[in-house]
Amino acid sequence: MSIFKKLFTAARGGATEVGEAIIDSQAIRILEQELRDSKKALNDAKTGLTSIMAEKMGVDRKVKELTAKITEHEAYAIQAMDKGDESLALDVANKIAEFEHELAIQQGILDGYQTKVSSLKKMIRQSERNIQAMDREVSVVKTTAKVQQANDLASAKFSGSNSSMRSATDSLERIKARQQKREDQASAAVDLESETSGDDLQARLKNAGIVDSESSGSSILDRLKKQKAQS
Amino acid sequence: MSNETLEQWMKDLAENKLSDGTHLSIEMFDGENTVACIKVEDREEFPIYMTIDEGQILCISYLFGDDQVNPDKRAAMAEAMLIMNVSIPLSAFSKIGDQYIMFGALSPKASIDELLHEIELLSDNVLEAIEAVSDYLTEAA
Repeated sequence: MSIFKKLFTAARGGATEVGEAIIDSQAIRILEQELRDSKKALNDAKTGLTSIMAEKMGVDRKVKELTAKITEHEAYAIQAMDKGDESLALDVANKIAEFEHELAIQQGILDGYQTKVSSLKKMIRQSERNIQAMDREVSVVKTTAKVQQANDLASAKFSGSNSSMRSATDSLERIKARQQKREDQASAAVDLESETSGDDLQARLKNAGIVDSESSGSSILDRLKKQKAQS
Repeated sequence: MSNETLEQWMKDLAENKLSDGTHLSIEMFDGENTVACIKVEDREEFPIYMTIDEGQILCISYLFGDDQVNPDKRAAMAEAMLIMNVSIPLSAFSKIGDQYIMFGALSPKASIDELLHEIELLSDNVLEAIEAVSDYLTEAA
């Protein structure tokens, strides 16, 4: 089963047991056990890799030795031929053939090790990634379990007297109403501010004699008379 | 280790406000000091729970329970939520047990400004989301 699927199972765990622990703690424990097992398997794989690499080094050394011996004996064979000792040269050449045969075998083993090492390394990297991902996911599942407990506590505090307190749409309405009230208050405050500053301006204009300080019936009549005389 | 980190974040949050000047009230929620509860001023109905581990900072807010979903519209709501998920900035829908949630996650290396932004958006998104799916919910009893 994939990690995601297991986590999914863990997370939905007891969802059917109404009011009971929703996150299945048993499933989390199993996951954690699997995680520990994977970590152990990873360690074993790393140990395995170390011993295979040691063996590979041994074979590697043999291959180098054989290659060196072949070069060495090739020189001997040439020297024997130079001296006209054809049968000695043939013996050396036979020896070289033995070495080459052995080299081919050892090279084959070396190649086999090489493949094994690189596939083991790949596997180890892969399981390290898996373990990291699993670690993260398990911690998220555990975290959400804690958050859930916290929320259960909170809603238990809320509910008690009034169960409609818990309705999401009601809550939203209440928040919107509060926001509206706040905005109304703010705009009322702005209106009030401008009114008062308006009053203030009028008073200052009157004081400065720019606006009639007393707008009375007689002053208006005077003004109208002046207008009529001008026309 | 993780507890100290959470306490430090809580301290930093308490010293800050959201971009519009809204206050946050923050308290440690559980005895184990693993879950912080953040309440945005005037939106106390939808507290945000914050936890921290090596991998991430997780902010979760509960929307509503299964019992508030109109049973006939449950599948349609789930699909609507899936479709909406991508277009909601920084937050996503999910479900814990029988509760629908909205959550956002941050790197533990995030800055306090990024966390504040996250909380602000999550809080806005929760209200938007409930409004958006209110047609699928049962009439408030």
